[in-house]
Amino acid sequence: MTLADLKTGKSGIIVKINVSGALKRRLMDMGVVTGTDVIVEKVAPLGDPIEVRIKSYALSLRLGEARQIEVEEIKNHK
Amino acid sequence: MKWRKSKIINKQNTPFVNQELKAEKNDLTIAVAGNPNSGKSTLINAIAGSRLQVGNWPGVTVEKKSASFDFQGRKITLVDLPGTYSMSPYTQEEVIARDYLVREKPDVIINVVDATNLERNLYFSLQLLELGIPLVMALNMHDEAAGKGFRIDEEKMASILGCAVIPTVATKGEGIGRLMETAVAFADASEAHRPVVISYGDDIEKAALAIEKSLKDHPDILAGHLPLRWMALKMIEGDARAIENYKAGQYAAVAENATRHLRSAHGEDLEALMADTRYGLAAGLTREALQKPEKRKRELTERIDAVILNRYAGIPIFLLAMWLMFKLTFDIAGPFTDWLDGVIGGPLSRWAEVFLTAISAPEWITSLVMEGIIAGVGAVLVFLPPIFAMMFFITLLEASGYMARAAFVMDRMMHAIGLHGKSFIPLLLGFGCNVPAVYATRTLENQRDKALTALLIPLMSCGARLPVYVIFTGVFFAAYAGTVLWSLYILGIVLAVLMGLLFKKTLFRGEAPVFIMELPPYRMPTAKNLMIHTWEKGKHYLIKAGTWILAISVFVWFGLNMPWGVESKKDSYLGKTGQIIAPVFAPLGFGTWEAASSLLTGVVAKEIVVSTMSEVYVPETGEEQQEESPSLGEDFKEIAVSFAGAFGEAGKNVFSTFGIATMSAEEEEGTTGLKTAIAKVFTPLSAYAFMAFVLLYLPCFIVLVAMRDEFGTWKWAGVTIIYQSVLAWVVAFIIYQGGSLIGL
Repeated sequence: MTLADLKTGKSGIIVKINVSGALKRRLMDMGVVTGTDVIVEKVAPLGDPIEVRIKSYALSLRLGEARQIEVEEIKNHK
Repeated sequence: MKWRKSKIINKQNTPFVNQELKAEKNDLTIAVAGNPNSGKSTLINAIAGSRLQVGNWPGVTVEKKSASFDFQGRKITLVDLPGTYSMSPYTQEEVIARDYLVREKPDVIINVVDATNLERNLYFSLQLLELGIPLVMALNMHDEAAGKGFRIDEEKMASILGCAVIPTVATKGEGIGRLMETAVAFADASEAHRPVVISYGDDIEKAALAIEKSLKDHPDILAGHLPLRWMALKMIEGDARAIENYKAGQYAAVAENATRHLRSAHGEDLEALMADTRYGLAAGLTREALQKPEKRKRELTERIDAVILNRYAGIPIFLLAMWLMFKLTFDIAGPFTDWLDGVIGGPLSRWAEVFLTAISAPEWITSLVMEGIIAGVGAVLVFLPPIFAMMFFITLLEASGYMARAAFVMDRMMHAIGLHGKSFIPLLLGFGCNVPAVYATRTLENQRDKALTALLIPLMSCGARLPVYVIFTGVFFAAYAGTVLWSLYILGIVLAVLMGLLFKKTLFRGEAPVFIMELPPYRMPTAKNLMIHTWEKGKHYLIKAGTWILAISVFVWFGLNMPWGVESKKDSYLGKTGQIIAPVFAPLGFGTWEAASSLLTGVVAKEIVVSTMSEVYVPETGEEQQEESPSLGEDFKEIAVSFAGAFGEAGKNVFSTFGIATMSAEEEEGTTGLKTAIAKVFTPLSAYAFMAFVLLYLPCFIVLVAMRDEFGTWKWAGVTIIYQSVLAWVVAFIIYQGGSLIGL
């Protein structure tokens, strides 16, 4: 599944980033690296973009980019 | 990722650190670098305050702040680098920051780190350390971190990283003195304080060494510019911009060879491997040095966002905030604009006239000074209050953290027409006045977003166009004036959407900037910061834009008044030009020299269309009445009293903002003659076509100068001139000819 499929309040681990070049670089620089926990905090009132918590800070990105980020959902999240 | 201390090794023979054996340099350059939202600009203000000089980085429009001052008998040059997330730059700002650090090699770097957001900030710190420049870390917002129950072991961080770590609270000035002392001490003893070198594991290290060997003949490296190892690592990462900028292309084959083994072992994406390593280190370091409370508290920011970004309440709250900002910007600025207008048009003009008469200056000189220069100064100054007010509110929104939320809420809508969520605010301000709106585009980081937004701003019908609409609707559409007025505003918005889509597919094809934005915690902006930013912008406008505006005003005076001594405006250069271009407007329903000349002068300011029309259609209204001249003392009294009055008015407006909004258009006095005249020349259809034309054709030249000022080039002003002229003509043509066809 991708980050865009993760429901609000759910968390996952980033397993793969399916973009390349400058965009991938930027995502990585912002902390979107494989093995990192991510939790979906909010969806904007108009449905896009979304807000996620990653590396202890709040990051917003569009669903278009979120769809390129593969995650594995963490079940039984406390 | 496992945290292994062995990943950071102290290499004593780093080749690029301070070859000169100077014990003490008298002149020191200190660069201040850090992530956006780390409180960097507050810290800079705390160190340098009013000594800050604001300029631009060479060749680009990015703001450069620097300060020179004496500290402990030394001459310090402090350079503020744009906010940066990574040494692999993504934005223009980040390119500047990196180029400065690599090429200029400051003596010390002060790295501002947000103590509440350690891991991502340290990711950048590690990259700074790789440059081998002595580094002093300002562990900023220390109080906020403590408030969250964070315990940070600064000494441990310092010893692991090989740099100094000074806790600071920039908003309160805490730790600033110690920070500066340490920075200077580090510059003196740069040999002793050698930052650590990160090890990327045997494979990468081997490749890096191999590249380093060949790079030794690279001219920039011999000149002491490029850190050898740093460049080698950039080549392994495949950082195309670094390779191009630092002319390392000729070593591509070397890098290719050196990394062949790496790529077969780790896959093609070495960049990801290195970013992983750095984040692994940053995470490990955070774990070592930071103790967090067991249970994470729900922070204030999250509680505020639960309301402000709420699914249902988010948009109404946003619209309310925008409405308040808009009203306050123009309501507070309005009385001061009127006051400046009054002082320049009244006492100042009178004094100039008295002076000119006293020295018996020729009549044309008097006219040039009064109507060219003084009017030009007036044109510059009247925009100062709205620019101040706009900058104040923009800074407030940014410093508090709401700007990012506004972008978050609006992005979907704005993205649909190829814009960014942050484009909304400049466009909205455009309805008040296009000039501050153009300056407000600085809140957009990406140059493409910024340019596209600025291009669409003139389609937002500003306040100066209202007097034109009021006259025409008053004559032709009195019964349903409100509807006609609104239709013009809507026409502008609809066309902005269409033009946005068109530009997205033409001028801005290809580059699609992404929206990957931090939502910083809400923070209380400090009064000092607000004042400094607001003042800087106003000063910048006065100096940079003011010169242009003044020059163009004088030029316009020539057009209006030359050849000297013409009886009728028809024979002035303006009138003649009007006669020449009038046929162009014939298919639009207003092909007269009067209309053409009025439109020409409208480029000075759109409301002038009305006063020019008064002069050309009803010449006698142009006659000035002789008034009794007040004495100098009375003049000063009037200036002071009206200034106090402006304060009172502004204050009253702030309160009335929270009351009922009235959109009252002031009708200019003495327009009866004009109304009778245009009732004869225009039909309702041609009047509507004319109003649409006034809405859409060139913005006033101040807007064009503001674009030049904000982008450092006339390019976007040029695009605006061309596209708006065409658009205005086409739309007015469709309205007039279409209307005629259906028999209106």
